[in-house]
Amino acid sequence: MGVCEPAAGVGPGAEERDDAALLRAVARGDENSLAALYDRHAGWLTVRMTRRCALPDVVDHAVQDTFLALWREAGAYRGGGDVAAFIWGIGIRRLIDTIRRETGARRRLPWHAARPEVVVSAEDQVLAGIEHGRLGQALAGLSPELRGAIEATVLDGLTCAEAAVLLGVAEGTVKSRCHRARVALRAALTDQQAGPETPAHRREAWGTS
Amino acid sequence: MDEMTLNGRTAEVRVDGLSLRYGATHALDDVDLTLEQGITGLLGPNGAGKTTLLSILATVGEPDAGRVSVFGLDPRQTAERVEIRRRLGYLPQELGYHRHFTVAAFLDYVAILKEITDRRRRAEEVARVLAAAGLETRARTRIRALSGGMRQRLGIAQALLGRPDLLVLDEPTAGLDPEQRLRFRELLSGLPGHPVIMLSTHQADDIAAICPHVVVLLQGRVHFTGTPAELAATAAGRVWAADDRDDRAHLAWRGGDNRWRHVGDAPPAGAELVAPTVEDGYLLLSHAAGSR
Amino acid sequence: MTSSFPGATGPAAGADGHAGEDLLAGYAAGTIPPAVVWSVEAHLMECAGCRSAMSAQVDAGRLARNRSVLMVRAALGDGSRARRLLCRCGLPDHLLRLLGATPSLRRSWLLSVLGVLAVVAAEAMAVRYGWVRSGPPGRLAGYRDAEVLAPFLLVAPLLVLAGVAAAFLPMFDPAFRLAVAAPFSGFTLLLVRSVCALAAALVPVVAATFLLPGPRWLPLALLLPSLALCALALAAATVLDPRAAAVTAGVLWAVPVLLLLATARGPLPIVQAHAQFACLAVLCACAVVLLARRDRFEQGWTR
Repeated sequence: MGVCEPAAGVGPGAEERDDAALLRAVARGDENSLAALYDRHAGWLTVRMTRRCALPDVVDHAVQDTFLALWREAGAYRGGGDVAAFIWGIGIRRLIDTIRRETGARRRLPWHAARPEVVVSAEDQVLAGIEHGRLGQALAGLSPELRGAIEATVLDGLTCAEAAVLLGVAEGTVKSRCHRARVALRAALTDQQAGPETPAHRREAWGTS
Repeated sequence: MDEMTLNGRTAEVRVDGLSLRYGATHALDDVDLTLEQGITGLLGPNGAGKTTLLSILATVGEPDAGRVSVFGLDPRQTAERVEIRRRLGYLPQELGYHRHFTVAAFLDYVAILKEITDRRRRAEEVARVLAAAGLETRARTRIRALSGGMRQRLGIAQALLGRPDLLVLDEPTAGLDPEQRLRFRELLSGLPGHPVIMLSTHQADDIAAICPHVVVLLQGRVHFTGTPAELAATAAGRVWAADDRDDRAHLAWRGGDNRWRHVGDAPPAGAELVAPTVEDGYLLLSHAAGSR
Repeated sequence: MTSSFPGATGPAAGADGHAGEDLLAGYAAGTIPPAVVWSVEAHLMECAGCRSAMSAQVDAGRLARNRSVLMVRAALGDGSRARRLLCRCGLPDHLLRLLGATPSLRRSWLLSVLGVLAVVAAEAMAVRYGWVRSGPPGRLAGYRDAEVLAPFLLVAPLLVLAGVAAAFLPMFDPAFRLAVAAPFSGFTLLLVRSVCALAAALVPVVAATFLLPGPRWLPLALLLPSLALCALALAAATVLDPRAAAVTAGVLWAVPVLLLLATARGPLPIVQAHAQFACLAVLCACAVVLLARRDRFEQGWTR
């Protein structure tokens, strides 16, 4: 019994269209639409950000900044990928900016428009069709630092520089951790591999990220 | 222990011998006051000196003579005056607004004047006072589009910015309808931090409903300090209700129950004694002061 | 397209592939394994129902607080293009917001200044560029260049003075009692506003002088008198009533110019070398007085 029963008579795409319509209204300067978007999306955004940064003040500021960025630049949404991914693309970078500001780092990363399709397809590549039992075990076998590096670069689609701010380490450290994580995962998956089902392109997906 | 602490109570705001003259008239004449945490009402007719007294408390005006002490600070010293202003919230009598400002922009402006320089903290404070004054839906409205009552609420909201320890409100209930007055009362009694609040009004029923302490100011002099019940009690035995008007009484007017209410020493014919209200006490005092 | 939830067993995983409440609570609390976290996050990107369910996992008061701060910041906006530009140049945001209350920086004021300048300069330009036919001897014909500048020389510094006066006179600030009763330094407020009003007024004035006949150094020559005039008004405001101070300064400029005109020697001497040194001296003296007596601006001007 899940919590996702769609409302009667509403098709699967209806919610998405509503979000896009709200975003268009926000681009026209309608603050009620901004409030409606907030009511829909602030909850999961707060939780997802908290999974990456445990400081509640930082997360609060990042959530506010995310919706403010939406308020200013809702016109940047081009309709590719759904609105939630668009919001997350903005949100993760606002979170990084907030962390950087509050820990006093000096470098300034220019904010560029999120590319939601990158995030979605990377996840799809990794998650769709793979036996999660194996992946779950392999991931659990990684140390937290390696797992964090993989999550930041693959799941959130961050560059190594951005991931460095999020994790609070140097950029070189992120790169080496990603490399070691990939090596470890490949080794774990290869060890566990029972049959000839794993296609070559899935391994390539790991190797080229 | 200096004279600022009496009998174990700490006087928060104290005024001694305050005097101010405009030409030949005394706007304030040797006023002594002690204000503590909670709401004190300043009651008096227009021209009694209420605005003058409040502007001196708000460090905006300077007296000719007398001492003022706000939380132990002396407004005549520059550094201490700035410190008083940091803990002050002031609503002047005729507050003008930059008409092109929106509500949020005006509050933001006042917040900067109160030295809240961080943008995020300012937004939090503005959101807080907007909610307290019931103006959240009006954040983007331009001030020139607000009604009189809403402008008054905006004035109250700006006084609350920065959580002041001393609130000086000049005629805050002017232009508010009864429901808004009720909300104003709730707002004042629910303020965190228990500030010292002084508000002025010329309506006795505001005093009765809002203020646990009242000061009556007539012609620049203090004629009464105490609770509203004590003010009402000063008219005990001198308030009568009759069916007809008797001109011998000091004051007579037709009350809501269609009977004539008389305030005076001699009972009119066929009148019965009634319980005095705060307004009766005030009227008796102002009549006595006027006939002096 | 939905992703399934392997790795989560039991009642938490729904038969239709959606997340159960336990799973969402576990995700919010951080108690579920990493691969499941990834799956939950991927699923959230696609399922609006689960997204709204996540809102219940966050403290409602916290969500409401952030919402009200967000709406206030959205209502405040970023300001005009000019303010955003200045902000990027490093000027503190709160000082720039204070300028929003200055009447002499608003579009209506600046347009009026331009209008007055246009009128005053029109006469001079008309003669210089020969737009007016030289008919029978009248007011315009036969005048030398210098006299034609007289209205402009009279008015231009007064326009700058008016801009600065509007920045500090209480009558132009409807909420000035609030500014007095506030801890923010009255002197800093005055300086910030006056300097910006000065700059905003000088730009059109200097630009207009390029279009006029007369010596080539005329644009620069008006700078010192304007600055001196404004400094005089501000310094006088520490002694006199502010309105009287502004009027006095204006009169102290208008009278010499008119006198020079009346004695038919032309108004140019007022912007030549001797006068420039005099203006510089006045400027320095007034600056000293202003700094020494700046406390006057911290007290109330009302009684």
